[in-house]
Amino acid sequence: MSSIDYNQIMSIGIYGSAIGLILIGLYAVLMKKHLTKIVIGLSIIDAGIHLLFVAIGYIDNGTAPIFSPKGLEMMAAGKTMVDPVPQALVLTAIVIGFGVTAVALSLVIRLYRHNKTARIDQIKSLKW
Amino acid sequence: MVISPVHYVAVPLLAAFLMPLLSKINREFVRIIPGLVLIYLGYVSVTLMNQLAETGTIVETIAGWSAPFGINLVFSPFTGFLASMMTAMAFIIWIYSYRFKKVDSEPAQRFYILQMMLVTGTIGIVLTGDIFNFFVFMEITAISAYALTAFYRHRDGAEAGFKYLLIGSFASTFILLAIVLLYSQVGTLNMAEIAQRMHTVPMPMKVSILILFLVGLGIEAEMFPLNGWAPDAYSQAPGPVGVTFAALVVKAGVYGLIRVVYTLFDIPSVGEFLIIMGAVTLVISEVAALKQTNIKRMLAYSSIGQMGVVLIAFGIGTTEAVFGALFLMFNHAIIKGLLFMSGSYLVYNNPEKEIKYLSGYGMKMPVISLFFSLGALAIVGLPPFAGFWSKLYILMSAADSSLYGLIALILAVSIIEIVYYFRVVGRLYFGKPAEGSIMHKATPGGIIAMSILSITILVVGFYPDIISSYIHNAAEALLDKAQYIENVLPSVNDLTQIQN
Amino acid sequence: MKKVLVILMLAVIGYSLGTSFSTIKFGENRIGDPKEEKNVAAYYLNRTPDELSVANVITAIVVNYRGFDTLGEVSVLFLAATGLGSILYRRRKKGEHPEVITKPASQLLQSGSKLIYPAILVLGAYVFIHGHLTPGGGFQGGAIIATGLLLMMMAYKDFEIRHNVLTWVESIAGITFVSLGLTGLIYGKTFLENFLPTGNINDVVSGGIIPIIYIAVGFKVAAELAGVLETLLSNKEND
Repeated sequence: MSSIDYNQIMSIGIYGSAIGLILIGLYAVLMKKHLTKIVIGLSIIDAGIHLLFVAIGYIDNGTAPIFSPKGLEMMAAGKTMVDPVPQALVLTAIVIGFGVTAVALSLVIRLYRHNKTARIDQIKSLKW
Repeated sequence: MVISPVHYVAVPLLAAFLMPLLSKINREFVRIIPGLVLIYLGYVSVTLMNQLAETGTIVETIAGWSAPFGINLVFSPFTGFLASMMTAMAFIIWIYSYRFKKVDSEPAQRFYILQMMLVTGTIGIVLTGDIFNFFVFMEITAISAYALTAFYRHRDGAEAGFKYLLIGSFASTFILLAIVLLYSQVGTLNMAEIAQRMHTVPMPMKVSILILFLVGLGIEAEMFPLNGWAPDAYSQAPGPVGVTFAALVVKAGVYGLIRVVYTLFDIPSVGEFLIIMGAVTLVISEVAALKQTNIKRMLAYSSIGQMGVVLIAFGIGTTEAVFGALFLMFNHAIIKGLLFMSGSYLVYNNPEKEIKYLSGYGMKMPVISLFFSLGALAIVGLPPFAGFWSKLYILMSAADSSLYGLIALILAVSIIEIVYYFRVVGRLYFGKPAEGSIMHKATPGGIIAMSILSITILVVGFYPDIISSYIHNAAEALLDKAQYIENVLPSVNDLTQIQN
Repeated sequence: MKKVLVILMLAVIGYSLGTSFSTIKFGENRIGDPKEEKNVAAYYLNRTPDELSVANVITAIVVNYRGFDTLGEVSVLFLAATGLGSILYRRRKKGEHPEVITKPASQLLQSGSKLIYPAILVLGAYVFIHGHLTPGGGFQGGAIIATGLLLMMMAYKDFEIRHNVLTWVESIAGITFVSLGLTGLIYGKTFLENFLPTGNINDVVSGGIIPIIYIAVGFKVAAELAGVLETLLSNKEND
């Protein structure tokens, strides 16, 4: 196969799965009735976006951006380094996503305690 | 140590980390520390504003790397004005919240930490010059807001908080997606450099990124139809938190929207889009306010409507219009603050916060009712109160751009505002008190806070020139994109690390 | 009906995202030659080994170049833990002891975890101490340690970490981070600037304040995650 086809397959594969994750997460948030499943959906959306972000930074024939002895060896052999910035940003984004998930789960626990149910269609004191 | 913009973030953060330890020494520390921090930040504001007047926009680099390789904070006439306003409001809110409700000491500690970080987050949003840093501060604000909305145990706080969290997470998702796409196109995260490189981005991609930003930031700025979370969050949150939402958080959201639209992008027709969305937001929320029986929800819808007017004014885009918009933001912060503060006391012992229970409170809680009425008069734009000037300038700028339809719209909506505000005021003074209605005496802190706001409303109403020069400079700074870029980026070829 | 609308909307979103991303060629080198420094990424790749003596460029970005973001991130964690505590707070009735899990864990879990637990802790500590040399860092190491703690919490009913200890570790680590930043300010440089000598690349002691910050972050993350887990695990079901 020529290298162009390989690249297309890779991009469809990676971008496709990341966007797929986002869509699956969106579906869960919008359609599922159980609160925990909605929170899991949020996590899945986050995973998709992070994957997308890291995928943007990839460079063909690239290696990790670390100047260890092994890394310097690879540089000498002609490999370039991938873009480090998206990885650093994703690191921050993952932690932030965790924080939001933690707060969301605590709210679910509170709602469950209060209403004895965790299904969204049975908790409707405020107008949705 | 030189006073610099980073103090706005570093000092409250240090205090927040210290609070759990200090609360073990003395329980009362947790209530006092936020006040001390805010007083110090007030001093910082004054110092920086003076420095601004002398030497121009202050750009501070973090970690010693000049933009765009490091993060930078920008204290310009525009951002500095917003930051100082937020600091002042936060301090007044602190006075108000001192002993607002008797809470046990452990939650009190958490409340003040969250509240302080909420304020820090909004100020950080306004001061940062880096788009990902903007996202981080937005999340700081968001998480504090989610937790604070659900603070009280016995109300529907958890449900409102969860709804806020869901919709807020969508906002974060869209903004993060926009940042991903943006980085892939321009290779930088610094706002000034993005503005510089924006012309290299192909148009379809530009439009996609802009749409993602508009949706994400529109949620935070309470633009229709993305503001469903706001009435619930405002009404369920504790009193001081509701004030913070109306006076600080939504302003930060609008700031984000404006910064992206004006500074980052260069598509001219966005202005018309903002006018349309602002008008729709205004009409729908004011009509909704009319139908509300819960006073806090009514105030929340009214806030959304005011932000609609702000969006319209920003959409018009002339210097005069932007001046009016910023003036309105300032007025809205103090007037809506006063309304929420007095409103919270009026319905203190009334779990449903229904207006119909307020009959005759004018006699029983005369001072607070007076504050509320003052706020109502001010917000509909009657002279000689502060609200009059902002409305006037916005209407004048609409006239200058020959947008007479808008003038009619805003005036018509003002009539709706008068109806639902004076419905409450009338009930306060002319209703018959129901049997056994209990009122709550306001704390001294509450009275002081509300008095400060009332006096400000009167002073600005009679002498708008006191702050209009600041706002005018702010408007000019916002509109001058080239100046912003020049301030932040030194000569583009100079890549050496700044030594001190 | 709602399902149809949702699927339709998802299709639209998926399509627009797909077309947007198809214009971004996967694996395309948008940085160019690092020596030319056409954009930020090239600058970081070029300058890190010489000016900061740090091998892991991502650590350098996270802790130094974009250290302010990391400060924000650490505060997000802190806020999440605080928010969790405030949302789930309940007044302890007299004599009520927070119960953890009621069913004892299986024999496999109990003996296995005793074996693995020290190894996990060491691995976590290794990861965050060597953050500037190998992939990983404070957040990763802290998460590993917290996972080890979770393992022990699940295996043993009585395994309890005193909340006091966690609070102290959390606060002190956070204060360390901010103080290091402020120290830079006091000495006339900018916030979070590197004021210690940078040493030789690939040494453990190199990179100035970067390893110190990352170690503090590692402790903080571990303490915070453990605190969150404990708050979540020690809640009884009946109100």
